[in-house]
Order: sequence, then structure tokens, then C-alpha cells
Amino acid sequence: MFAIVEGLIDVGALIAGAQRPDCGAIATFVGTTRVDESEGASVEHLEYEAYRPMADSKLEEIGAEIEARWDVRHVSIVHRLGRVDPGEASVVIVAASPRRGPAFEASRYAIGRIKEVVPIWKREVWSDGYVWVGSQVGTRDTVTEKR
Amino acid sequence: MIKVLFFGAAADRAGTRETGLDIQDGATLAEIWPLLVEQYADLAPMRDTLAFAVNGEYARGEDAVSPGDEVAVLPPVSGG
Repeated sequence: MFAIVEGLIDVGALIAGAQRPDCGAIATFVGTTRVDESEGASVEHLEYEAYRPMADSKLEEIGAEIEARWDVRHVSIVHRLGRVDPGEASVVIVAASPRRGPAFEASRYAIGRIKEVVPIWKREVWSDGYVWVGSQVGTRDTVTEKR
Repeated sequence: MIKVLFFGAAADRAGTRETGLDIQDGATLAEIWPLLVEQYADLAPMRDTLAFAVNGEYARGEDAVSPGDEVAVLPPVSGG
């Protein structure tokens, strides 16, 4: 399953959906929001946005790349949009394969490709403004100085 | 007329998420960029970091655009 969703991701349901009698391994990667601190301010939450339906297509392409490359029998990738609070899952990848190697490798590959090609953006919302991650554009004083 | 979509930091810089732009049939993305900067000067410093998509697929500067197409201005992606 490839999905972009608002609201909490049910990790257990995704893992259950990957269980198959022909697979002996399920690797799960959960990306969670991390809180950074600097100069007395801290990240309160993250906000994600996507270019749809391109982002949906790119997730499916990553799934196809994985199936072409490894003996992986099931792949799910679910990414969140909107507000994600600290410690919550922003992305979950589940890969099942007959033996463990391909499942591990495929889940690592998937998160790498997501960060390269899927048109999704996050901004860190700090107590004193926000910053678009990767662009250094935003409303925090420490960022606007760099404009 | 093409539809131009801005995302993330590019939407902030442009001050909008969507606009229409009159172009000549067959104009390339590289030719369209100065027209965008004319309207949204704050986008200019982002040029080297931006990618573009035409109708939902990544495209290069030399790729041509036709009226009715959807062009997306994409800052460096930061999903995950």
C-alpha cells in the first residue's frame, strides 16, 4: 500500500498487512519527528505538505524499483501530511521478503529515495517562527538573516 | 496559458501557491523562469536549488511546455 495521509499512522496494521506465508522477514522503518533546540527556542511540531498526485506516483515508483531490485514480496509506504507532533511517526515503510537481507535493504533504500525524489516538504514550527527544512527560508530571525 | 504551482519555501517566496502565465507554445522551462522572476522577484535567489515538474513529472530546463500544462516549482524535497 502506498498512501499519503493526515492523522496518525497505524504501524501495527501495516505490519499485519505484510505478513505472508512465503516471507520469513518483515523490516519496518519508522521515521519520527525529532525536536531540535537552539538559542533558547525549540521545535514545537512539524508541518508537511505534498505535491499531489505526483507524490503518490513517486511512492508507487519507489515500490516498483524495490520489486525490480530485490526479492521483496510486499512493500507499504505511508507518509503523513499536515501537523505532526514530536515523537510521532511521519513516515512508515514495511517490507517483507522470504529472507531478511532484502527486507532490510529495501526499507533503507525506500527512505533514501523518499528523501531524494518524493515532492513532500516539511517546515519546523519553532516557538519563534518557522523554517522550511532544506531551503532555509522562513520567518525565524536566525533564518531571515540568511535571505 | 499554463498553470504554475509553488510549494514549500517557493510558495513563501512567491507569496502565492498558484498562478496563471501566458506563454508561447513550445516555450522551454528555461524561457519561462525569467517571466516568473519578473512577477515574483523573491524567487530569484532560489533558482539553483529548484526543480521543476511538468504535469506531475520532473522536467529539465530545455523541456518545452504547452498551453494547458501544469508547471510545479519544487524546492529541495524534505520528506521523511
